[in-house]
Amino acid sequence: MSASGSRTPLGLVVAVVEVLAVVATAATLVLLFTNEPEAPAAAPAADAGAGGGGAVDGAAVYAAQCATCHAADGSGGIGPALAGGAVVAAFPDEADQVQVVAEGRGGMPSFGDRLSPEEIDAVVEYTRSL
Amino acid sequence: MAGATIESEQSRGTGIAAGVFLAGAATAVLLGTYGRVHDPTGETALTAFFSGQLQFKVWAATLAVLFAVAQLVSALRMYGRFRTPAPPWLGDIHRLTGTLAFVCTLPVAYHCLWSIGFDTEVGVDRVFVHSVAGCLFYGAFVVKVSAVRIHRIGWVLPAVGGTVFTLLVVLWFTSSFWFFTTFDGALR
Repeated sequence: MSASGSRTPLGLVVAVVEVLAVVATAATLVLLFTNEPEAPAAAPAADAGAGGGGAVDGAAVYAAQCATCHAADGSGGIGPALAGGAVVAAFPDEADQVQVVAEGRGGMPSFGDRLSPEEIDAVVEYTRSL
Repeated sequence: MAGATIESEQSRGTGIAAGVFLAGAATAVLLGTYGRVHDPTGETALTAFFSGQLQFKVWAATLAVLFAVAQLVSALRMYGRFRTPAPPWLGDIHRLTGTLAFVCTLPVAYHCLWSIGFDTEVGVDRVFVHSVAGCLFYGAFVVKVSAVRIHRIGWVLPAVGGTVFTLLVVLWFTSSFWFFTTFDGALR
């Protein structure tokens, strides 16, 4: 902390940045407790699409729910890679993959309360085609 | 009389130091608790102009480390570790780089806590170390920011500053470095 009483231009910049940092910190804390995912709105929105499997657009569900961790092209990130047959190798039985998506496992969150069974089926089918 | 005054000052200093450390510990525990009990959303929070959430996060964390290195160098100079004397504006630069480093970590931590959460069932691996270091980082940061304003406990500031820097480097190695060395084709 600067002990000097007079404020230089640089000191003024620092003070402004510090105030903005406090505001950003407060905003972050507020968002942590108030920003909830739009699960109810996202579920019906996926029903209208085509592709993936059946009436639900698996690609759209994947982009909205999975791409953050598994990357847009399924090459992996926080979560493991799915593309190139990786997920098929990990889950030869599709039902096992559906169960993991619905119930979660390890660092993988559960999507059973966020996606309909049709959406889970569609996104699982989509990932197996990557 | 003078002895009693010194003893009282020491006692007060110890009490303040204890309070500061308790505040830091509470911050770390609260963040860990939030990450554990909050249902991870698994959603993207902010990508800025990057191709994905992870790309944004790893570069923001890298920028935070660069600012932190600048802060470390300026701190060493202010503490007389270099032969050249510190210019009068160095204190402001030190504060500015530290603040910017902290701001860079905010969107990263937000996505970690809000979207991914703190999974304690994965064992002691990279993700676990990263999660613990993240909670400790903000706890140590609270201690540092408080210690800056309490000049009487002089040894605390460099000690906690070094701890904050070390934790940030650990966070970077367990996230950005891992990402850069694992996904070298997806850096933007």
